[in-house]
Amino acid sequence: MNASGELPVRSRGTIGLLEENCTVCMLCARECPDWCLHIDSHKEPLPPLGPRGRPRVRHVLDRFAIDFSLCMYCGICIEVCPFDALFWAPDFGYEATQHADLTHERGRLREWMWAAPPPAPGAGSTERAASDQR
Amino acid sequence: MAVMGLAAPDPAPVRFVLQWGRRYALTMANVGLACCAVEFVAASMSSSPLLQRTLAAGTGTTELLVISGTVTDRLAPAVRRLYDALPEPRYVLSFGACANSGGPYWDSYCVTRGIDTVIPVDVYVPGCPPRPEALLEGLRTLQRQIDGDLRVPPAASELRG
Amino acid sequence: MSPDEVAAALGPTASISAPYGELVADLPIADWHGAALTARDVLELHFFDFLTGVDLRDQGFQVVLRVWSVAARSGLQLRTRCSADSPVLASVSDVYAGAGWHERQAAELLGIGFPGHPGLEPLLLEPGSGHPLRKDTGLAARAAIPWPGAKEPGESDRDLGARSRRKNLPLGVTARDLKQP
Repeated sequence: MNASGELPVRSRGTIGLLEENCTVCMLCARECPDWCLHIDSHKEPLPPLGPRGRPRVRHVLDRFAIDFSLCMYCGICIEVCPFDALFWAPDFGYEATQHADLTHERGRLREWMWAAPPPAPGAGSTERAASDQR
Repeated sequence: MAVMGLAAPDPAPVRFVLQWGRRYALTMANVGLACCAVEFVAASMSSSPLLQRTLAAGTGTTELLVISGTVTDRLAPAVRRLYDALPEPRYVLSFGACANSGGPYWDSYCVTRGIDTVIPVDVYVPGCPPRPEALLEGLRTLQRQIDGDLRVPPAASELRG
Repeated sequence: MSPDEVAAALGPTASISAPYGELVADLPIADWHGAALTARDVLELHFFDFLTGVDLRDQGFQVVLRVWSVAARSGLQLRTRCSADSPVLASVSDVYAGAGWHERQAAELLGIGFPGHPGLEPLLLEPGSGHPLRKDTGLAARAAIPWPGAKEPGESDRDLGARSRRKNLPLGVTARDLKQP
């Protein structure tokens, strides 16, 4: 934290969830080395796209919880998410007086989303850097 | 005024005054077991008034134990003995993922899964490691808890199983 | 220290290679103690670095001894293979005193026996804790807790009972763990 109280932009303070992007692929829960992501979901049917289409299915997120008592802030969940639903946010003051209160549900994770910094200029570009060119 | 340790707790007004006096002058001992200990040291180098009494001269004057770092099965009894040797009032702050729940080493053959399986914990500070500023936030939460805490100290039966 | 010098000193039973840029000598188990003496006295590798074991499952336990020459600034790894069923290897603690602790550690965590060692007392674990660093020892904590990643997309906790547990064993949990009560 610098003199004016600002944290570096990529500080690993906490993890924010953007639910709109989440397709419940379960990759983050599978890859977490601490087993601290708890995801529940159910399937909902969707009407077929056309008259001869097949019935479709949508996965709806019921529960997305991160147990911050176990989390080691490695970032594997954020890196592995193919849909960019998880982001680092620099907030850090979320201590608790009960052990169970260190597990945060999707509402709190969504609030942290608004603390996540905007992407750096040029992020997401599909052009390769000069050093990547062969 | 009842003496600490006897059966009848102090009446509420007395406890209010005692707690008010305690919250601003906590003498801490850092049980520095692993990397989180370095973050505690970094915090204690700050000029924050909360951390000016971090050096506790022995168990007689320690009021707060900050458990920073991985608690192994081999060391857990020593932490328990340290906690038992402290006189009331005594508080415990669990600092970092390893002290909270075993952290990254939760599945190891020799790591205790959280110091709260051994001693009662008042505040848990998450992080791996938590920032020094997070320790200050944790201390503030502990102060608020002490402020509003007119109960008798928690019994050993409140240990998480 | 060239590969030829090492080969000449250790004899024809040792096969010398340099897989990672450092000399490695693979030996039969019978030559282990003699090779350690040779490394110390003939090749003047006086500095003991480490002695450790590698669990290769069916192929046994590979024991690696690394020694270093401070004057020549080069090292040598001696390797041998013990059997998988009852791994036993001559102790080199009389050659390199530092190996005493490392052999205690290998004995406790991997279950390798070192006859000739003055005292293989346990370092860390209570008696009866098994040998945790063997690959067929599962992680007890992982076996005891349901893996959050076992659920498929679209499933909740209540759906898990129906599926066979064997299909979704996470890393570190062996089938043997599940049989325990």
